[in-house]
Amino acid sequence: MRPLLVAVVLPAAGAVLLAAGAVLLPAAVGDAWADTAAPPAVLDSLSAVLTDTQAQLASLPDAPYYVALALDDHEQVTIQGTHGAYAGLVRGHDRSGDVDLRIGSMQLDNTHKIRDAGWFDAPRRPQIQAPLAESGAVLRALFMRAVDDVYRDARQQLIKVKSNNQVKVGVTDTSADFSAAPVVVDSRPVPPLELDEAAWIALTREASAIYLDYPAVYDSAVQIVASRDQQWLATSEGTRIEQGNRHFRVATWGTSVADDGGEIQVYDYVDVATPEHLPAHDAVLAMVRGVAQRVTQLRAAPLIDPWSGPAILRGRAAGVFFHEIFGHRVEGHRQKDEDEGQTFTSRVGKPILPSFLSVVDDPTLARRGDFDLNGTYAYDDEGVPAERVQLVDAGVLKNFLLSRSPVAGFPRSNGHGRREAGLAAVARQGNLMVEATRTVTYAKLREMLVAEVKKQGEPFGLIFDDISGGFTFTGRSEPNSFVVSPVTVWRVWPDGRPDELVRGVDLIGTPLTTFARIVAAAYDVDVFNGVCGAESGWVPVSASSPSLLVSEVEVQRHEKGNDRPPILGAP
Amino acid sequence: VIWLFSLALAADPAADAIPPVEAAVRAELDRAMKELRLPDGDPPYLVLYDVLDGEVVTTFAEFGSTVSVDTDHYRNLRTEVRVGSYERDSSNFSSFGTSGSVVARRLPLEDDIRALRREVWLATDQSYKAAVENLARKQAALRGHTEPLPPDFARVTPVDVPYASTGDVPPVQGAHMRDLAETLSAELRKTPGIEVGQAIARDWQGRRLVLTSEGTRVWRATGYTVVRVEGTVRLADGTEQRDSRSWVVRRPEDLPPESEMLDQVRAMATWLAALPAAPKEEDYLGPVLFEGPAAAEVFSQLVAPEILGTPPELEDGDGALNVPTARLGRRLLPAGWSVVDDATTDKGLGAYASDQEGVAPRRVDLVKDGVVQDVLMSRIPSTDRAASTGHGRSLGNDRLAAMPAVVTVTPPKEVSDRRLRKTALHLAAQTGRDYVLVIRRIEPPVLSGDLDVAFTGEGPLPGLTDPYEAYRLYADGREEPVRALRFLGVDRRLLKDIALAGEGSGPLDTLDGPPGPGRYHVGPTGGVPVTWDVPSILVTEVELTTKSGGEPRVVKVELK
Repeated sequence: MRPLLVAVVLPAAGAVLLAAGAVLLPAAVGDAWADTAAPPAVLDSLSAVLTDTQAQLASLPDAPYYVALALDDHEQVTIQGTHGAYAGLVRGHDRSGDVDLRIGSMQLDNTHKIRDAGWFDAPRRPQIQAPLAESGAVLRALFMRAVDDVYRDARQQLIKVKSNNQVKVGVTDTSADFSAAPVVVDSRPVPPLELDEAAWIALTREASAIYLDYPAVYDSAVQIVASRDQQWLATSEGTRIEQGNRHFRVATWGTSVADDGGEIQVYDYVDVATPEHLPAHDAVLAMVRGVAQRVTQLRAAPLIDPWSGPAILRGRAAGVFFHEIFGHRVEGHRQKDEDEGQTFTSRVGKPILPSFLSVVDDPTLARRGDFDLNGTYAYDDEGVPAERVQLVDAGVLKNFLLSRSPVAGFPRSNGHGRREAGLAAVARQGNLMVEATRTVTYAKLREMLVAEVKKQGEPFGLIFDDISGGFTFTGRSEPNSFVVSPVTVWRVWPDGRPDELVRGVDLIGTPLTTFARIVAAAYDVDVFNGVCGAESGWVPVSASSPSLLVSEVEVQRHEKGNDRPPILGAP
Repeated sequence: VIWLFSLALAADPAADAIPPVEAAVRAELDRAMKELRLPDGDPPYLVLYDVLDGEVVTTFAEFGSTVSVDTDHYRNLRTEVRVGSYERDSSNFSSFGTSGSVVARRLPLEDDIRALRREVWLATDQSYKAAVENLARKQAALRGHTEPLPPDFARVTPVDVPYASTGDVPPVQGAHMRDLAETLSAELRKTPGIEVGQAIARDWQGRRLVLTSEGTRVWRATGYTVVRVEGTVRLADGTEQRDSRSWVVRRPEDLPPESEMLDQVRAMATWLAALPAAPKEEDYLGPVLFEGPAAAEVFSQLVAPEILGTPPELEDGDGALNVPTARLGRRLLPAGWSVVDDATTDKGLGAYASDQEGVAPRRVDLVKDGVVQDVLMSRIPSTDRAASTGHGRSLGNDRLAAMPAVVTVTPPKEVSDRRLRKTALHLAAQTGRDYVLVIRRIEPPVLSGDLDVAFTGEGPLPGLTDPYEAYRLYADGREEPVRALRFLGVDRRLLKDIALAGEGSGPLDTLDGPPGPGRYHVGPTGGVPVTWDVPSILVTEVELTTKSGGEPRVVKVELK
């Protein structure tokens, strides 16, 4: 079975950062080549491959009706400091190619889902490792080879698709496998990756030394990851796009072990799209101090038991909450896949949220407030211009996120077909934003929480202040639940005692029930930048929201470690 | 006291000073031996550290264009804390749900003793806790077990080789590696029909420190340079056939001249270009002549498991205990043949002054008169052998088991190539053929990824990786390439069917992994250096079949 688990996560401590970049691009789409002397050589080569392969295959009875060739260039520099010392600089650069080839017709082609089949019946996608600089004969030969591989597989695949359709019952959504899209020609070269490596070596070293002053922090690091992604896309329809982005993440993590074996890990980071937006020296030091203090506090914080009651989800937590319980369920392909839960498929035009809430996904927006947004792009990975999509308007479901795979009643893409190189694009989120028309101050929201606690007769309420990620199940074969993993949770007492930091719980629930319990929103807006993993791989996303008051949430015990703290003191 | 002492040394650039990384590891080693103990738990009886401080550059090119360049400078720490005693300790045991007590961490690159110690501290703590748990599980598994078991770890006399003795470690030559990969892979562009033309070049240089609580301190310079070129053609029925050339040397300066490497690549390209027109060898059952590099691969794949004495790990719930593949007294080769491993010679890259456990190797007479007389050992004893022979090596953080180093296979008699070929043709004639099959090259397991081979020896499975180059040799001296072949049902018994030995082609340096499935995951630039010096061999009967599979291309692929 293909994966039905979708997740948005932050990398674990010490892991290689998977996040690609946010992008700062004008939203306008146009023919930028009019002013350039020559089109980029890579696109010329990709176009030559399209011409050559089409000429060779045109006379065959099962000639492709659509071919898209993409080349993704990824550069990355990672600098890390730990325990007050320079821990290394890792530099990587690779180029990977992708072929999307379709035979049959837009109505029914080789990419059509084969029902009740295993993952091995999925269409083949090539792994092309392309030269870093050469864009001529070698690049063309690699793509020709890949087109041939995919074409031969597509022929077999289409036979299986047709047979599967004959054998199985009909489906509710009979929409086509592929939709028409405008031809786009645009060139948006990406500036070089600029990073003052010496300065960041010095800063990560200096900042990482702060942890040495906090005995409760056993392991830690400070890191900057700078990356530059450039994509070239050429299709048999005539689309030719060069675009990309830069992304910078300054991150730090500290870990500890509570006396009961609970693993404590606090991760903080700043994602930006240009070097000019990188945090200043003092801001990095403050971020590290904040993590060190939080680890220290959490190590002494009490565990809480499974519980349900009123809670506030602060901005980032609310953003991830919506990403998981709502965003993944409005991805277009899930509306016609009958293995999916299809929570919202039949709810278009009907209220699904309180009337004071609206939700949009807008990849064309580069910033929200003071934040660069991770899920920004001008064109999606199918070459379709990104669109702002009003998903929910005043509580009423209006639309879905769509790739070029149409859904009944939604015949065209709105520029959300996204993928990681080597995987087929499906509808994914970009910048998911929750907007509230009736808001209160955060202080007022907190008062409302206390009132709700008293009204329900609960001993306390919770504030979910920050989260590390989450995941949800969307398929029919498993419960359609979600899990959001908080880092910082405060217990709010109704009797006026100071809020108390607690640990050891995850926020859980099911979507429809939870939506019905959102009762208020604050003015504030916070942004979660991260990467999201699903069928089409890891893609950068953001999720932003005001703080929300929910009349009832449920928490379960967080997975617990069993290791003792280090036996000897730190050297 | 240690802390202050270390700081003082760090500031002293004198040639005999202890490097900060050693001072940091030593300080944590001392602390662990004195203080590390869980309440009611056994203290460590032994702590072993291995620090690999290296720089590596790997470049990969296709048809003359660089596809990737990876550089890394690292300090990897391998920590193993042992609890119990040499007789019975926390090692050599695997149990579902436990991760073993070898812990790896990456150390800071700067000589900051406090930062270095912190990483060593965390690794030691983790390793110790795992060791305590492992020992308890092992003791539980052994309860009621009556079979005698060998000790878990061999004692050694401590060795002291200070840092100053390692000499200079040269920087890696990234530009040279990139040029080589581009130049060699570009040569394959010149031959029409070659679909894949790739080269990979890695230069890895560094120092290794082995420091143990027994008093061993061994600093060694280490590293190697490897260059591999690979080409692939697709035959008319879609079957792919590969061939490769490899060079493994200590440093880039030891590589042959570029012109010589290019000649080899051209020869490979010529071979590949001839294959589409080559005849099929539908099913071959008869004598086979294995020439130099192919003979080395036969011995490497079939002899290596028979000369390694490290017993397998005891597995929780497994009744089969301590049964190594290698068996003393087993007839492995025909009478008169001998096999010796001598890592102290300067015969090839497999030689070294001390293994990864800091033990100096000794010459081991493995096979005499065709019968296994001795085996290679790491510090993990077997029921037959208690002491290390100085062959403890591993990939990554695997346990340090015995690996071959410099193996010389000597026949009772070597004949000329002419005589060898004549005899081969005579044997072929007896089976009704006017030609004999000669195999010149066999795919190294590290490049294969063919797990079928790892588990075989019997039935229809191959038992040896596929031939890269095979040809029919006719009585008039004509050589005719044959297309992709695959061995059938080979195992060590093939060695007993060796009829005659030829001159061989001299010592061959290779990179290899330990026998078993892991050998097929090493990849083109990893492995442990091993040298094989073997003669060409004529085997009376081998079975091979033509490989098939794949599909002809629909799209014509040309480099233009």
